[in-house]
Amino acid sequence: MSETNIRRRKLLLSAAAAATTPFWINSVRAQEGPIRIGYPVPLTGPYAAEAKDQVQGAELAIMEFNESGGLNGRKCELLVRDTKLSPGEAATRTLELIEKDKANFIVGSLSSSVQLAVNNVAKERRIIYSSISQSDTINEVKDWSPYTFHEAMNPTMTAGAVGRYVFPKYGKRIAFLTADYAYGHEMVKGFQRAGKPFGVETLIDIRHPIGASDYSTFLPRIMSLKPDILFFCNFGRDLISSIKQAGDFGLKNNTRFVTPQLTLTARLAGGSDVFDGVIGGATYYWRLEDTVPSAKAFNDKYRKAYAGAVPSDFSALGYSSVRAILTAARNAGSTDSDKVSTALRQLKYDFTKGPEYYRNCDHQAVQSVLVIESKSKNMKDKNDVFDIVAIEKPDESHLRSCQELGHKA
Amino acid sequence: MEGAPSRTPYRLIATQVSRHRVAAVIAFLVVLPWLTPSHALAANILIFGLYAVGFNLLFGYTGLLSFGHAAFLGSGSYATGVVMVHYGWPWWLAIPAGITLAALIGLCMGYLVIRSRGIYFAMVTLALGQCVYFAFYKAEAITGGENGLRGVNVETIDLLGWKLDFQDPITKYFVMLVFVAAALWFVSRLLASPFGAVLESVRENEKRAAACGYDVARTKLLAFVISAAICGLAGALRALHLSIVPIDSLHYLTSGQVVMMSLLGGMGTFFGPFVGAATILWVEDVATILTKSWQLVVGVIFIIFVLFFPRGIWGSFLHWLGRR
Repeated sequence: MSETNIRRRKLLLSAAAAATTPFWINSVRAQEGPIRIGYPVPLTGPYAAEAKDQVQGAELAIMEFNESGGLNGRKCELLVRDTKLSPGEAATRTLELIEKDKANFIVGSLSSSVQLAVNNVAKERRIIYSSISQSDTINEVKDWSPYTFHEAMNPTMTAGAVGRYVFPKYGKRIAFLTADYAYGHEMVKGFQRAGKPFGVETLIDIRHPIGASDYSTFLPRIMSLKPDILFFCNFGRDLISSIKQAGDFGLKNNTRFVTPQLTLTARLAGGSDVFDGVIGGATYYWRLEDTVPSAKAFNDKYRKAYAGAVPSDFSALGYSSVRAILTAARNAGSTDSDKVSTALRQLKYDFTKGPEYYRNCDHQAVQSVLVIESKSKNMKDKNDVFDIVAIEKPDESHLRSCQELGHKA
Repeated sequence: MEGAPSRTPYRLIATQVSRHRVAAVIAFLVVLPWLTPSHALAANILIFGLYAVGFNLLFGYTGLLSFGHAAFLGSGSYATGVVMVHYGWPWWLAIPAGITLAALIGLCMGYLVIRSRGIYFAMVTLALGQCVYFAFYKAEAITGGENGLRGVNVETIDLLGWKLDFQDPITKYFVMLVFVAAALWFVSRLLASPFGAVLESVRENEKRAAACGYDVARTKLLAFVISAAICGLAGALRALHLSIVPIDSLHYLTSGQVVMMSLLGGMGTFFGPFVGAATILWVEDVATILTKSWQLVVGVIFIIFVLFFPRGIWGSFLHWLGRR
């Protein structure tokens, strides 16, 4: 065999190898055109209002990035896709975003099942995905990958912070009204875990089907037990109807109402009387601007871009997750998944609510948790509906440990 | 009639297409990924087309309207996913597992419903479909419950040393097409067999079929199980395509979707279900990107077709060809 023949064969082999490795795909992707961020969120369906806030937050971060010169001149664009709140649809859209639109990063989703679906598709293709929806499962080793980041809080943190605030203050005899799906279950676990050191006693945990409209059969049972605290572990419309009906039953007289996530959108939809005195956790609340400079800066930019509107939890998550990825891409000088993942792990940032960072073992954003109480008096304007009653500082000890999640420490 | 020359080219095409219907469908499916806006959509059309073909075997050819077929798509997906995720089975063994479970569930459901007719048949299948939904929903340790099953990952396929990159959308599509083509050939063969003729006779007149000596109940049951198995294969492919199994694949809306696809495409025609699946998914895909009111667009199109093309898109087209 002649030497040229061998050389040609080697060349062919290496060309074939190069063509089949994922690194090749990534590097081709990195060099051409703008940076693309795929953004699957539930634009239609029950969480449409929240999804709109998510999009506005992300667009603000991208606007800033582009105005400040991009990544060595490379601009960024946001590709918003509707998940319809369905994991199957979300998986298809994510495939499309990666295969057809050549998205460099995926951010988004608003549901436990949807984010796990998006995460699985993205991680298989070594694309960074930053989730902005609550979930404990995504931290666990089974779903986690080096390309999985969780910007939102998780139920353990949220319920933990709220629990640690309410147990000493309002009592140890507790009851749950829980939507019967992952979100509800995880929140109950979070409260019980936080309550253990306080010696709390769970009187009853009533599970209701998701989307229930009538709670009158559950409430008398809770009332007869006279709990100190009633936890509403449900979300959206379920939360509003159940809190309203429990209030109408007169449960509020002896029992404190608590919900893991108290959002501006739910409060504005439910009204001040329904929510009066309800305590809950929050990722973000715009009145943080009174004490935190980065919140003030974020609010001002948001108001300017969106005709005076104040950002909600979801706007803040959309903004900080996208800004974190773009900052990391700048630090890495590249959009390569591995390089940006490393840069994200090293990132210490303060974009909306004080200092944050991603824990190294599970990429959970370690951040402060707000505890807020809904009010009906002394309101400055229509958006001034909560008082911040406590802020739990970022603290890894409030998360489940890396070993517990199955990670090697 | 045999071999008589056709008078017009249209009729010639029509006879050729119906004579080689499997080849014609496969030819269409081979070029499909380059016609759709994305490869992921083409794969979905492939999967839901097969799902609708399986459903149509029962609905269009045997005349039984089931509202519980999501149970077969879903259980096919879950069985494939579960044996891969929890037991580490290779993908090529996982697909038969999906078909088997779907067929078994089809056998149990079929045994219970086959003696009811019309609206009662639809109601009972709907109810049993919901039972299957809740069984999988509650078996959280195995199925992931509300979160769905994740991790049905296939990176490469090893065909006797020839490595295929299953993450490449085109490769994935064609691997799935092999299975779909085999299933289509099987359905076509089945319909052309005496058994296929019995199915149609049951649809046309049950009493007369019984009077001719055919066991109507057994024929229906067999059709039910085969239909379930084909939907199970569609489910198995879906698990591999999406790498997840969402719980809504068992939802009654997924059962309703396949009814819509069959009606829109043309029930009782071989290619109709595929046309229906392709139309619905395509319109949804494009409309979703253009407007938030995508449901309105899909709804209006569906109404127009039901009102003005009761034979469905493909059924009307065949009718038009036949009249030329």
